[in-house]
Amino acid sequence: MKKTLFVLVLVLACAGLALAQGGGKKKRPLPYEFGRVVINNYSEKAGLAPAVFDHWLHRAKFTCRLCHVDIGFAMKTGGTSIKASDNMSGYYCGACHNGRTVSNGKRVFESCSKSLVTNDRARCNRCHSLGRNVTPEYDFNRFTERLPKGRFGNGVDWEKAEEQGLIKPVDFLEGTSMKRQSLAIQKDFALGAKLEGMPDIIFSHKKHTVWNGCELCHPEIFVGVKRGATKYSMTDIFEGRYCGVCHLSVAFPMIDCQRCHSKPVQ
Amino acid sequence: MTRGEKAMKKPKFFLFLLGAVVIMFSGAAGTVENHFSWPGIAYAQEDWKAEFEDVCSKTQDAMTFTTDELKSLIARCDKLKPIIENLGETQRKVYGKRLQLCRDLLVFVLESKEKK
Repeated sequence: MKKTLFVLVLVLACAGLALAQGGGKKKRPLPYEFGRVVINNYSEKAGLAPAVFDHWLHRAKFTCRLCHVDIGFAMKTGGTSIKASDNMSGYYCGACHNGRTVSNGKRVFESCSKSLVTNDRARCNRCHSLGRNVTPEYDFNRFTERLPKGRFGNGVDWEKAEEQGLIKPVDFLEGTSMKRQSLAIQKDFALGAKLEGMPDIIFSHKKHTVWNGCELCHPEIFVGVKRGATKYSMTDIFEGRYCGVCHLSVAFPMIDCQRCHSKPVQ
Repeated sequence: MTRGEKAMKKPKFFLFLLGAVVIMFSGAAGTVENHFSWPGIAYAQEDWKAEFEDVCSKTQDAMTFTTDELKSLIARCDKLKPIIENLGETQRKVYGKRLQLCRDLLVFVLESKEKK
Protein backbone atom coordinates (compact mmCIF):
# COMPACT_ATOMS: atom_id res chain seq x y z
CA MET A 1 0.00 0.00 0.00
CA LYS A 2 2.80 2.36 0.99
CA LYS A 3 4.72 1.47 -2.15
CA THR A 4 1.70 2.23 -4.39
CA LEU A 5 1.22 5.58 -2.69
CA PHE A 6 4.90 6.40 -3.12
CA VAL A 7 4.80 5.56 -6.86
CA LEU A 8 1.62 7.62 -7.28
CA VAL A 9 3.17 10.64 -5.56
CA LEU A 10 6.31 10.24 -7.67
CA VAL A 11 4.33 10.10 -10.94
CA LEU A 12 2.27 13.15 -9.95
CA ALA A 13 5.38 15.07 -8.97
CA CYS A 14 7.09 14.27 -12.27
CA ALA A 15 4.00 15.23 -14.26
CA GLY A 16 3.69 18.48 -12.31
CA LEU A 17 7.33 19.30 -12.92
CA ALA A 18 7.04 18.54 -16.62
CA LEU A 19 3.97 20.73 -16.97
CA ALA A 20 5.54 23.53 -14.96
CA GLN A 21 8.47 23.62 -17.38
CA GLY A 22 6.18 23.72 -20.37
CA GLY A 23 7.22 20.25 -21.36
CA GLY A 24 3.72 19.21 -22.39
CA LYS A 25 3.34 18.24 -26.02
CA LYS A 26 2.53 21.25 -28.12
CA LYS A 27 -0.64 21.01 -30.14
CA ARG A 28 0.03 21.44 -33.82
CA PRO A 29 -2.16 24.25 -35.18
CA LEU A 30 -4.91 23.39 -37.63
CA PRO A 31 -4.36 24.60 -41.22
CA TYR A 32 -6.53 27.69 -40.77
CA GLU A 33 -4.85 28.51 -37.46
CA PHE A 34 -1.28 28.31 -38.77
CA GLY A 35 0.26 31.79 -38.83
CA ARG A 36 -2.44 33.24 -36.62
CA VAL A 37 -1.37 36.15 -34.47
CA VAL A 38 -3.31 37.45 -31.50
CA ILE A 39 -2.60 41.09 -30.68
CA ASN A 40 -3.54 42.34 -27.27
CA ASN A 41 -1.35 45.29 -26.36
CA TYR A 42 -4.27 47.60 -25.66
CA SER A 43 -7.45 45.81 -26.82
CA GLU A 44 -8.71 44.38 -23.53
CA LYS A 45 -7.77 47.55 -21.66
CA ALA A 46 -10.02 49.37 -24.12
CA GLY A 47 -12.87 46.93 -23.52
CA LEU A 48 -12.42 45.09 -26.81
CA ALA A 49 -11.53 41.48 -27.56
CA PRO A 50 -7.92 40.92 -28.67
CA ALA A 51 -7.39 41.34 -32.41
CA VAL A 52 -6.87 38.17 -34.45
CA PHE A 53 -4.70 38.42 -37.53
CA ASP A 54 -4.60 35.56 -40.03
CA HIS A 55 -1.41 35.44 -42.06
CA TRP A 56 -2.87 33.09 -44.71
CA LEU A 57 -5.24 35.69 -46.11
CA HIS A 58 -2.76 38.54 -46.12
CA ARG A 59 0.19 36.54 -47.43
CA ALA A 60 -1.89 35.45 -50.39
CA LYS A 61 -2.30 39.09 -51.36
CA PHE A 62 0.84 40.92 -50.22
CA THR A 63 4.57 40.20 -49.93
CA CYS A 64 6.21 39.94 -46.51
CA ARG A 65 8.27 43.03 -47.34
CA LEU A 66 5.26 45.22 -47.96
CA CYS A 67 3.96 44.72 -44.43
CA HIS A 68 7.13 44.14 -42.43
CA VAL A 69 9.40 46.68 -44.13
CA ASP A 70 7.25 49.29 -45.87
CA ILE A 71 4.40 49.42 -43.37
CA GLY A 72 6.71 48.61 -40.47
CA PHE A 73 5.07 45.71 -38.64
CA ALA A 74 7.48 44.05 -36.21
CA MET A 75 8.33 40.39 -36.68
CA LYS A 76 7.32 39.51 -33.13
CA THR A 77 3.74 39.35 -31.91
CA GLY A 78 2.90 42.54 -30.01
CA GLY A 79 6.24 44.09 -30.99
CA THR A 80 4.62 46.90 -32.93
CA SER A 81 2.33 48.08 -30.10
CA ILE A 82 -0.32 49.17 -32.56
CA LYS A 83 -2.77 51.73 -31.23
CA ALA A 84 -6.16 52.57 -32.67
CA SER A 85 -4.89 56.10 -33.27
CA ASP A 86 -2.06 54.69 -35.45
CA ASN A 87 -4.62 52.94 -37.64
CA MET A 88 -6.84 56.01 -37.75
CA SER A 89 -3.87 58.06 -39.01
CA GLY A 90 -3.37 55.66 -41.89
CA TYR A 91 -0.47 53.64 -40.52
CA TYR A 92 -0.11 49.90 -39.79
CA CYS A 93 -3.50 48.20 -40.42
CA GLY A 94 -4.86 51.60 -41.43
CA ALA A 95 -2.42 51.77 -44.35
CA CYS A 96 -4.84 49.49 -46.24
CA HIS A 97 -7.84 49.23 -43.94
CA ASN A 98 -8.93 52.81 -44.51
CA GLY A 99 -12.19 52.41 -46.38
CA ARG A 100 -10.57 53.77 -49.56
CA THR A 101 -8.02 51.16 -50.65
CA VAL A 102 -9.31 48.70 -53.21
CA SER A 103 -7.88 45.17 -53.25
CA ASN A 104 -8.99 42.60 -55.83
CA GLY A 105 -11.88 44.87 -56.80
CA LYS A 106 -13.11 45.13 -53.21
CA ARG A 107 -12.98 48.16 -50.97
CA VAL A 108 -11.00 47.30 -47.82
CA PHE A 109 -13.01 48.00 -44.68
CA GLU A 110 -11.88 50.79 -42.40
CA SER A 111 -10.16 49.87 -39.15
CA CYS A 112 -10.50 51.91 -35.99
CA SER A 113 -12.53 54.68 -37.56
CA LYS A 114 -12.71 58.13 -35.99
CA SER A 115 -16.41 58.20 -36.84
CA LEU A 116 -17.34 55.22 -34.67
CA VAL A 117 -20.94 54.97 -33.59
CA THR A 118 -22.36 52.60 -30.96
CA ASN A 119 -23.92 50.12 -33.38
CA ASP A 120 -20.69 50.01 -35.38
CA ARG A 121 -19.29 47.33 -33.05
CA ALA A 122 -19.71 44.68 -35.74
CA ARG A 123 -16.91 46.33 -37.70
CA CYS A 124 -14.62 46.37 -34.63
CA ASN A 125 -15.37 42.68 -34.15
CA ARG A 126 -14.05 41.84 -37.60
CA CYS A 127 -10.56 42.13 -36.14
CA HIS A 128 -11.20 42.17 -32.39
CA SER A 129 -12.66 38.71 -32.61
CA LEU A 130 -10.87 36.46 -30.13
CA GLY A 131 -13.45 34.39 -28.28
CA ARG A 132 -16.30 35.95 -30.25
CA ASN A 133 -18.49 34.14 -32.67
CA VAL A 134 -17.55 36.11 -35.76
CA THR A 135 -18.06 34.76 -39.27
CA PRO A 136 -15.08 35.87 -41.32
CA GLU A 137 -15.58 37.40 -44.75
CA TYR A 138 -13.12 34.95 -46.23
CA ASP A 139 -13.64 31.29 -45.50
CA PHE A 140 -10.32 29.44 -45.26
CA ASN A 141 -11.45 26.24 -46.97
CA ARG A 142 -13.16 28.03 -49.82
CA PHE A 143 -10.21 30.39 -50.27
CA THR A 144 -7.57 27.66 -50.35
CA GLU A 145 -9.40 24.89 -52.22
CA ARG A 146 -8.09 26.06 -55.61
CA LEU A 147 -4.49 26.39 -54.36
CA PRO A 148 -1.82 23.65 -54.65
CA LYS A 149 -1.65 21.50 -51.57
CA GLY A 150 1.19 21.55 -49.09
CA ARG A 151 1.87 18.93 -46.45
CA PHE A 152 2.05 21.09 -43.35
CA GLY A 153 1.31 24.59 -42.11
CA ASN A 154 -1.72 25.98 -43.90
CA GLY A 155 -1.77 22.88 -46.09
CA VAL A 156 -0.99 25.16 -49.05
CA ASP A 157 2.15 25.28 -51.18
CA TRP A 158 2.33 29.08 -51.40
CA GLU A 159 5.44 29.04 -53.55
CA LYS A 160 3.80 26.85 -56.16
CA ALA A 161 0.63 28.92 -55.94
CA GLU A 162 2.60 31.99 -56.97
CA GLU A 163 4.48 30.11 -59.70
CA GLN A 164 1.17 29.00 -61.15
CA GLY A 165 -0.18 32.54 -61.03
CA LEU A 166 -2.93 31.61 -58.60
CA ILE A 167 -1.78 34.26 -56.17
CA LYS A 168 -0.02 37.52 -57.07
CA PRO A 169 1.31 39.09 -53.88
CA VAL A 170 1.42 42.88 -54.22
CA ASP A 171 4.75 44.51 -53.36
CA PHE A 172 3.88 48.18 -53.61
CA LEU A 173 1.43 50.33 -51.71
CA GLU A 174 0.89 53.85 -52.99
CA GLY A 175 1.77 56.47 -50.40
CA THR A 176 3.66 53.97 -48.24
CA SER A 177 6.15 52.01 -50.33
CA MET A 178 9.23 53.54 -51.89
CA LYS A 179 9.84 53.32 -55.60
CA ARG A 180 12.73 50.93 -55.93
CA GLN A 181 14.87 49.72 -58.78
CA SER A 182 14.09 46.17 -59.85
CA LEU A 183 15.88 43.79 -57.57
CA ALA A 184 19.16 42.21 -58.62
CA ILE A 185 18.55 38.58 -57.75
CA GLN A 186 21.26 36.85 -55.77
CA LYS A 187 22.02 33.29 -56.80
CA ASP A 188 20.62 30.30 -54.96
CA PHE A 189 23.24 28.42 -53.00
CA ALA A 190 23.77 25.20 -51.10
CA LEU A 191 24.41 24.95 -47.37
CA GLY A 192 26.04 21.80 -46.10
CA ALA A 193 24.03 19.68 -43.70
CA LYS A 194 25.82 18.81 -40.47
CA LEU A 195 24.59 15.23 -40.35
CA GLU A 196 26.15 12.70 -42.66
CA GLY A 197 23.67 11.35 -45.16
CA MET A 198 21.33 14.30 -44.72
CA PRO A 199 20.75 16.12 -48.03
CA ASP A 200 22.29 19.62 -48.19
CA ILE A 201 20.05 22.67 -48.07
CA ILE A 202 19.31 24.57 -51.24
CA PHE A 203 18.64 28.10 -50.16
CA SER A 204 16.55 30.03 -52.65
CA HIS A 205 17.85 33.57 -52.45
CA LYS A 206 15.53 34.42 -55.31
CA LYS A 207 12.38 33.44 -53.48
CA HIS A 208 13.48 35.04 -50.23
CA THR A 209 14.57 38.36 -51.73
CA VAL A 210 11.49 38.74 -53.91
CA TRP A 211 9.19 38.24 -50.94
CA ASN A 212 11.29 39.81 -48.20
CA GLY A 213 13.77 42.26 -49.67
CA CYS A 214 17.18 42.40 -47.97
CA GLU A 215 16.62 44.33 -44.75
CA LEU A 216 14.00 42.00 -43.34
CA CYS A 217 16.60 39.25 -42.85
CA HIS A 218 19.91 41.15 -42.72
CA PRO A 219 21.31 41.86 -40.22
CA GLU A 220 18.55 41.32 -37.66
CA ILE A 221 18.02 37.62 -38.36
CA PHE A 222 21.18 36.66 -40.23
CA VAL A 223 24.18 38.68 -39.17
CA GLY A 224 26.67 37.31 -41.70
CA VAL A 225 26.55 38.27 -45.36
CA LYS A 226 29.07 35.61 -46.37
CA ARG A 227 27.78 32.08 -46.74
CA GLY A 228 28.43 30.13 -43.58
CA ALA A 229 29.33 33.23 -41.54
CA THR A 230 26.33 32.81 -39.25
CA LYS A 231 26.65 29.57 -37.31
CA TYR A 232 23.41 28.03 -36.21
CA SER A 233 21.97 24.64 -35.43
CA MET A 234 18.59 22.99 -35.81
CA THR A 235 18.07 23.58 -32.08
CA ASP A 236 18.49 27.33 -32.61
CA ILE A 237 16.05 27.21 -35.50
CA PHE A 238 13.47 25.22 -33.53
CA GLU A 239 13.80 27.80 -30.76
CA GLY A 240 12.58 30.44 -33.20
CA ARG A 241 15.85 31.97 -34.29
CA TYR A 242 17.34 32.27 -37.81
CA CYS A 243 15.13 30.36 -40.30
CA GLY A 244 12.82 29.63 -37.37
CA VAL A 245 11.71 33.27 -37.17
CA CYS A 246 9.41 32.59 -40.12
CA HIS A 247 9.58 28.85 -40.71
CA LEU A 248 7.91 27.89 -37.45
CA SER A 249 4.91 30.10 -37.52
CA VAL A 250 4.15 31.53 -40.98
CA ALA A 251 6.26 30.09 -43.79
CA PHE A 252 6.19 26.31 -44.37
CA PRO A 253 7.14 24.70 -41.06
CA MET A 254 10.39 22.99 -40.15
CA ILE A 255 8.85 19.54 -40.03
CA ASP A 256 8.66 19.66 -43.82
CA CYS A 257 12.36 18.67 -43.93
CA GLN A 258 12.69 18.02 -47.67
CA ARG A 259 11.61 21.53 -48.61
CA CYS A 260 15.04 22.78 -47.40
CA HIS A 261 17.17 19.63 -47.36
CA SER A 262 16.59 19.10 -51.05
CA LYS A 263 20.01 18.59 -52.65
CA PRO A 264 20.45 14.95 -53.66
CA VAL A 265 23.10 13.19 -51.60
CA GLN A 266 26.18 12.39 -53.72
CA MET B 1 4.61 100.70 -15.45
CA THR B 2 5.25 104.10 -17.02
CA ARG B 3 4.12 104.95 -20.56
CA GLY B 4 7.76 104.97 -21.64
CA GLU B 5 8.31 101.40 -20.44
CA LYS B 6 5.13 100.24 -22.22
CA ALA B 7 6.37 101.79 -25.45
CA MET B 8 9.71 99.97 -25.02
CA LYS B 9 7.94 96.60 -24.76
CA LYS B 10 5.92 96.99 -27.98
CA PRO B 11 8.79 96.52 -30.46
CA LYS B 12 9.80 93.36 -28.56
CA PHE B 13 6.30 91.96 -29.04
CA PHE B 14 6.33 92.74 -32.75
CA LEU B 15 9.78 91.20 -33.11
CA PHE B 16 8.53 88.03 -31.41
CA LEU B 17 5.49 87.93 -33.71
CA LEU B 18 7.67 88.44 -36.76
CA GLY B 19 10.01 85.65 -35.62
CA ALA B 20 7.12 83.24 -35.12
CA VAL B 21 5.76 83.96 -38.61
CA VAL B 22 9.20 83.51 -40.19
CA ILE B 23 9.68 80.16 -38.45
CA MET B 24 6.18 79.05 -39.41
CA PHE B 25 6.64 79.70 -43.11
CA SER B 26 10.28 78.71 -43.43
CA GLY B 27 9.60 75.07 -42.59
CA ALA B 28 11.96 75.09 -39.64
CA ALA B 29 9.18 73.94 -37.37
CA GLY B 30 8.62 70.76 -39.33
CA THR B 31 8.76 68.66 -36.23
CA VAL B 32 5.31 69.38 -34.93
CA GLU B 33 2.41 66.94 -35.24
CA ASN B 34 1.04 66.36 -38.70
CA HIS B 35 -2.33 67.96 -38.06
CA PHE B 36 -0.61 71.29 -38.68
CA SER B 37 -0.95 72.21 -42.31
CA TRP B 38 0.80 75.50 -42.75
CA PRO B 39 2.64 75.61 -46.06
CA GLY B 40 6.15 75.87 -44.58
CA ILE B 41 5.64 72.88 -42.33
CA ALA B 42 4.08 70.78 -45.05
CA TYR B 43 7.10 71.49 -47.23
CA ALA B 44 9.49 70.48 -44.46
CA GLN B 45 7.62 67.21 -43.95
CA GLU B 46 7.77 66.34 -47.63
CA ASP B 47 11.43 67.24 -47.54
CA TRP B 48 12.46 64.62 -44.95
CA LYS B 49 10.18 62.04 -46.50
CA ALA B 50 11.71 62.54 -49.92
CA GLU B 51 15.17 62.25 -48.40
CA PHE B 52 14.13 59.12 -46.48
CA GLU B 53 12.74 57.52 -49.62
CA ASP B 54 15.77 58.45 -51.67
CA VAL B 55 18.16 56.85 -49.18
CA CYS B 56 16.17 53.80 -48.18
CA SER B 57 14.95 52.85 -51.64
CA LYS B 58 18.57 51.96 -52.36
CA THR B 59 18.90 49.15 -49.82
CA GLN B 60 18.43 46.41 -52.36
CA ASP B 61 21.36 47.75 -54.39
CA ALA B 62 23.56 48.01 -51.29
CA MET B 63 25.88 45.24 -52.47
CA THR B 64 26.76 47.19 -55.61
CA PHE B 65 27.88 50.36 -53.77
CA THR B 66 31.46 51.26 -52.88
CA THR B 67 32.36 51.73 -49.22
CA ASP B 68 32.40 55.52 -49.69
CA GLU B 69 28.93 55.48 -51.20
CA LEU B 70 27.70 53.33 -48.33
CA LYS B 71 29.27 55.69 -45.77
CA SER B 72 27.57 58.63 -47.42
CA LEU B 73 24.16 56.86 -47.30
CA ILE B 74 24.68 55.98 -43.61
CA ALA B 75 25.53 59.62 -42.87
CA ARG B 76 22.30 60.67 -44.57
CA CYS B 77 20.41 58.17 -42.36
CA ASP B 78 22.06 59.66 -39.27
CA LYS B 79 20.98 63.12 -40.36
CA LEU B 80 17.39 61.95 -40.73
CA LYS B 81 17.26 60.30 -37.30
CA PRO B 82 16.80 63.43 -35.14
CA ILE B 83 14.16 64.76 -37.55
CA ILE B 84 12.17 61.52 -37.30
CA GLU B 85 12.59 61.42 -33.52
CA ASN B 86 10.83 64.78 -33.33
CA LEU B 87 7.78 63.67 -35.30
CA GLY B 88 4.45 62.75 -33.72
CA GLU B 89 4.21 59.40 -31.91
CA THR B 90 2.88 57.32 -34.80
CA GLN B 91 5.19 58.64 -37.48
CA ARG B 92 8.13 58.41 -35.10
CA LYS B 93 7.32 54.75 -34.46
CA VAL B 94 6.78 53.84 -38.12
CA TYR B 95 9.60 55.79 -39.72
CA GLY B 96 11.97 55.19 -36.80
CA LYS B 97 11.72 51.47 -37.40
CA ARG B 98 11.94 51.82 -41.17
CA LEU B 99 15.01 54.02 -40.89
CA GLN B 100 16.61 51.59 -38.46
CA LEU B 101 16.07 48.64 -40.83
CA CYS B 102 17.54 50.65 -43.68
CA ARG B 103 20.58 51.95 -41.75
CA ASP B 104 21.32 48.55 -40.21
CA LEU B 105 21.45 46.94 -43.65
CA LEU B 106 23.77 49.62 -45.01
CA VAL B 107 26.10 49.27 -42.00
CA PHE B 108 25.98 45.49 -42.36
CA VAL B 109 26.99 45.61 -46.03
CA LEU B 110 29.67 48.22 -45.32
CA GLU B 111 31.19 46.10 -42.55
CA SER B 112 31.15 43.00 -44.68
CA LYS B 113 32.87 44.87 -47.52
CA GLU B 114 35.50 46.31 -45.19
CA LYS B 115 36.23 42.84 -43.79
CA LYS B 116 37.04 41.48 -47.24
